Amino acid sequence: MGRGEGMVIGGRVILRLAPDAISDLAGGRVAALVSATNGKTSTTRLLATAVEQAGPVISQHTGANMTSGVAVTLASGDPDATAVLEVDEAYLPAIFTATQPRVVLLGNLSRDQLDRMNEVAMVARRWRDMLGDAATTTVVANADDPSIVWAARHAPHVIWVAAGQVWTADSAVCLDCGALLHRDDRSWGCPNCGFARPEPQWTLQWAGDHGVVHGPDGGRYELHLRLPGRFNAANGALALVATVALGLDPAESARRMAGVESVSGRYAVIKVGELTIRLLLAKNPAGWSELVDVMPPAPTPVIVTINSNAADGRDPSWLWDVPFERLRGRVVVATGDRRRDLAVRLLHAGVEHVVIEDPYAPGAPLPPGMRDLDVVDCAATYTAFHHLRTSAEQS
Amino acid sequence: MSITLVSIYPTLLGTYGDGGNVMALQHRARLHGLEVDVVQVDPGDPVPEAADLYVLGGGEDSAQTAAASALRADGALKRAADNGAAVLAICAGYQLLGEYFPDSTSTPTPGLEILDIRTDRLPKRAVGELAATAKDPLDQILTGYENHAGATHLGPDATALGVVRSGIGNGDGSEGATAGHVIGTYLHGPCLARNPQIADLLLGWAAGTRLTFIEEPEVTQLREERLRTVLG
Repeated sequence: MGRGEGMVIGGRVILRLAPDAISDLAGGRVAALVSATNGKTSTTRLLATAVEQAGPVISQHTGANMTSGVAVTLASGDPDATAVLEVDEAYLPAIFTATQPRVVLLGNLSRDQLDRMNEVAMVARRWRDMLGDAATTTVVANADDPSIVWAARHAPHVIWVAAGQVWTADSAVCLDCGALLHRDDRSWGCPNCGFARPEPQWTLQWAGDHGVVHGPDGGRYELHLRLPGRFNAANGALALVATVALGLDPAESARRMAGVESVSGRYAVIKVGELTIRLLLAKNPAGWSELVDVMPPAPTPVIVTINSNAADGRDPSWLWDVPFERLRGRVVVATGDRRRDLAVRLLHAGVEHVVIEDPYAPGAPLPPGMRDLDVVDCAATYTAFHHLRTSAEQS
Repeated sequence: MSITLVSIYPTLLGTYGDGGNVMALQHRARLHGLEVDVVQVDPGDPVPEAADLYVLGGGEDSAQTAAASALRADGALKRAADNGAAVLAICAGYQLLGEYFPDSTSTPTPGLEILDIRTDRLPKRAVGELAATAKDPLDQILTGYENHAGATHLGPDATALGVVRSGIGNGDGSEGATAGHVIGTYLHGPCLARNPQIADLLLGWAAGTRLTFIEEPEVTQLREERLRTVLG
């Protein structure tokens, strides 16, 4: 049993003994809740690290982000510490009501685990209802994601952050009137009913290897994160603005966030069998489309691991929404429980591949050159990612 | 021989990887030495009437209603289907080919009346692997993943695509519907990647010729694994 599972079971016991535990344990000390389809664990870690400038902070260390994970996090550690919590999209309304956070950070919404999660519009609707009378909470929201804007725009206190949106396929349609949204490089809006991108107070500019966050009144903060990619800069920009909403110093936040090295194993370099791999969490099309740019260019071979356990989503049809064509020119090792679905997807994408049940076994038929790499990039779905991470911790 | 394939509103109808059906048709066409010209139609664009093959995917309730209303106003898909063009429609796209389907408030909403079907709500959402014995001219077991709340009732002018072995399908033991050169189904997966025989049937209709099935080992292995999981 992994630590995360232990947390969940501990949380269930707490909630059975005291159903109002979350509300009691929260007791007005929840600084922020963080939710999004992608990036909530990294954003939570960045924000928690930044908020430590004001004193001790408790937060999840395992990604247990549903009711029981939140309960056990609040129950453990310093009872007076400020809490910064990651929350699953579907559980956010209930946990929001129970904790009454000072800030709620909303990053992005896209298709993910459609067998379990409601469709995007449904999540947005539930968030909108949640925020309708949130008089004491400041919403820090991504102005570039129309679903987020739709959910947050009637909240009493909102700070809009232009954090960017690469994956637009799940917000093609106006949630008010059903018309196709118009988009250009900078903005978006509905040509029919006037629903439009709000004017952001804060803007993230991506400078190729680091982010620059521009605030109101000419404030300018450089984000030199160790976490790679533009999407982590977006996570950092939202976290930085959340610290401003909490009355903290954004320059100090940026400095502290720069020290975060690896979040719950993401981008961690670990040894598995005979290979040294860099672990990349890739669980849905939006996450994948950003991750492909973080991988080394072709012809460097990579490993892709696809599972379909409950936490991965039971239906891997989403593989067909991932632009795997961008991996052409290299050999991909397809592994995981659903390696055959991946192989068919790669066949259609024109990507050379080998299907290997266990690429870490001695003598596994790896593609030429893979064994000679210092580090092999391995992108994995949620349960595959955690399996690799745990096996590395135990060895 | 060149086939014109129209992908209808992938921005509205394509939530469940159904864009893969267009990729599968392009892929199978290449295997058979056919050329395919893909035209993507977005809401607001006119639907070309003279194409050989039309593909619609699944989508959320509000997107489905928007797509049905735009396609009814446009009219070209109905005329093309009546004139014998091949049509593949998945899930929400399948439902909107019928006389009516339920919108997000379960109110019956008019469809395109291309297939003799009517859809209302299942008592419980159908989510999971779906397997069905196919009917002539298909002879491979149909495999895919379903995620819908629709109970679809076939009228006398539509034939079921298959008989459910595992899963829910139309809700009465049958799965999908077909008439003429039109196929509607609840199978995601995507449908044509996991059931290449349907892709060949559609391409054959579109090209006016019967294609000899070509087997690919990756696909066969995936089908065997899925059917073993579901049917034992």
